[in-house]
Amino acid sequence: MRFRGNEYRVDGGHVLFVSLIAAAIIWYLFDARGVSTSINNLLLIQPVAIFALAMVVLIIPQLFVRADKVVEEKEEEYDPLAPKLPTDRVQVIKMLTLGAALGVFVFALNVIGFDIAIFLFAAATMLVCGERRPLHIIAFSAAVAVVAIYGFRALMPYPMFTAIL
Amino acid sequence: MIDFPAFYDALGIMATSAGSWGWIVPGLIVGLVFSAVPGVSITMAMAIVLPMSLYMDFFSAIVFLTSVYTGAGFGGSVPAILMNIPGSPSSYATTFDGYAMSKKGQHNEALGYALFASTICGILGYVLLLFVVEPLAGIVLKIGPVEMFAVAIWGMLLLGSLGSKYVTRGLLAAAFGVLLGTVGMNTAGFIRGTMGLPVLLDGISPIPAMIGLLAAGQLLTLAGKDYILDAEEARSVSVKKILAGCWGTMKYPGVLIRGSIIGIIIGAVPGVGSSVGNLIAYAETKRTSKDSASFGKGNPKGVIAAESAVASAEGGSMATMLALGIPGGGATAILLAAFMMHNIVPGPSFIETQKPMVYAIILNNIVQAIVLLVVGIGFIYVASNVVKVRTRYILPAILVIATLGTYAVDGSPSGPITLFIFSLIGFALVRYEYPVAAVVVGILLGRMLETEFLRSYQLSAGNPLYILQRPGAMAIVGIMLLSLAMTAWGKRKQAKQEAEEEAAMQALHREELATAGKH
Repeated sequence: MRFRGNEYRVDGGHVLFVSLIAAAIIWYLFDARGVSTSINNLLLIQPVAIFALAMVVLIIPQLFVRADKVVEEKEEEYDPLAPKLPTDRVQVIKMLTLGAALGVFVFALNVIGFDIAIFLFAAATMLVCGERRPLHIIAFSAAVAVVAIYGFRALMPYPMFTAIL
Repeated sequence: MIDFPAFYDALGIMATSAGSWGWIVPGLIVGLVFSAVPGVSITMAMAIVLPMSLYMDFFSAIVFLTSVYTGAGFGGSVPAILMNIPGSPSSYATTFDGYAMSKKGQHNEALGYALFASTICGILGYVLLLFVVEPLAGIVLKIGPVEMFAVAIWGMLLLGSLGSKYVTRGLLAAAFGVLLGTVGMNTAGFIRGTMGLPVLLDGISPIPAMIGLLAAGQLLTLAGKDYILDAEEARSVSVKKILAGCWGTMKYPGVLIRGSIIGIIIGAVPGVGSSVGNLIAYAETKRTSKDSASFGKGNPKGVIAAESAVASAEGGSMATMLALGIPGGGATAILLAAFMMHNIVPGPSFIETQKPMVYAIILNNIVQAIVLLVVGIGFIYVASNVVKVRTRYILPAILVIATLGTYAVDGSPSGPITLFIFSLIGFALVRYEYPVAAVVVGILLGRMLETEFLRSYQLSAGNPLYILQRPGAMAIVGIMLLSLAMTAWGKRKQAKQEAEEEAAMQALHREELATAGKH
């Protein structure tokens, strides 16, 4: 996209994030208004929600990034003598995979047992972070599971559903 | 200046709760170890251990958490000096001269300077707090709901506007946090945003949300990194030279006091915190020094200035948190949550009715700073090994502890699920440069803001001119507007300076390339 002689591109991830925040705020405002339009209910929520939406509007221009600026930065970073760093894409995939693993982990705790879930999550995290030696993965994940289960059992009064430990 | 009967009661609390003393050393070690690991900040360290303090009595919990805070303040400076990697953002300025000293073979002395500056200024910050509590209690008692609301709004606006490069993103984060904090049933009995889930009736559980935002979300960003690979070999450690450095610190009382004053003031203002304090103290010491040219090349004054500001900021931020119940940033937000977990609300009434407890907390922090001197020297020996641990081992262990910690809050799966949702939000906030601390403080203060606003509305019978009868509130609003204007002006100036510096650096880079090309 061209504007005033400069090439701009849209930061898709940022657009999605701001849209989700805006949608959540609008939903919350309507939900609160649906409960009651009494001042005692909306005194703080309504003005803060409108203020937040105004901020969203002001953020919209920031969603467009100068395309030539990105190229410049990339050129500056490039150094053939330096060891090759993982590209952004690889890093982002690793982060997202770890995020997904965390999601599966929290929902699996009460389904497959805390011990198995911790073991699998620790192993998955090690894999995502680049560990490839099976013995290291199994030994360290098992150690994390044992220490975490017995440590937290000693610490808190709530029961933990476990399959083995 | 000091309420002596309350002071003696505080000594009584300290003497009778002997168990709490036992938490000082573990707390300091946790803080030192976590913050020495690059990528784990003071706030993350505190967030991860917060659920552990649930099962302690109130005083022990606060002793433990403030010990983590104290330890983490110094812990980050060890890798900063030895390897040029700030363990936490608040040690960034320590790298400038600390690492330069290290390169000259003076790493032991540099560590000594940093440790002693941390100890002395940590004590200074709290001694000052000890003296201001009494007058502060008198002032905060005059604070009504209108003033409280104005102060909380001011804090939120400062947090939002200072916490990020973009004011609009900061303010959106703060407003979003406040809205999240109002989910559930308000004091007037209206239920909003619960999606029919009974677990949300009391609002979003702040501890799992905090751990998700401050720790888990940011830990996810480490997945693609292996910082420690680039670290240099550990250097030999000599206690004699460290002590020589400690002694050398005393030669620069002016730097210590200046750094402390900057640290305390910056720490007391919501939204700024020690990560900015150390840079300002460093810049200010460099600016006023006769030998400013030697800064960045291994001048001990640089290390002392940076560390003194980090250590004394703790006392400053505790003053705001105890007196007003408003956290200045992530670390004090966690302390506030710990207070709330024990059904204690810091603020005007707490400081007046629980003065012995306030004094006991302050006195214990002074003890912590002294203990840090001993534990810190021992820690330096192991620190170089801590930073060599790879993320593939740190990440699974910390994420599991964080997740189980959220389960320990009430023994229900809603804790870990809240952690997961907020870790995604935290990840996105960091990714797109929104200040996470603003959302956290918003969640913590949202309910209080709404309650105080409702009370103000009821007191004034809906008449906005009621504020004219409250000079305190008017003064706060005046200061708020002034500080916001100054922030906007400062940001503009900073952006201009940064642009100029970047242009100069680019020109230098091009020149170097051209020279290299000729050769």
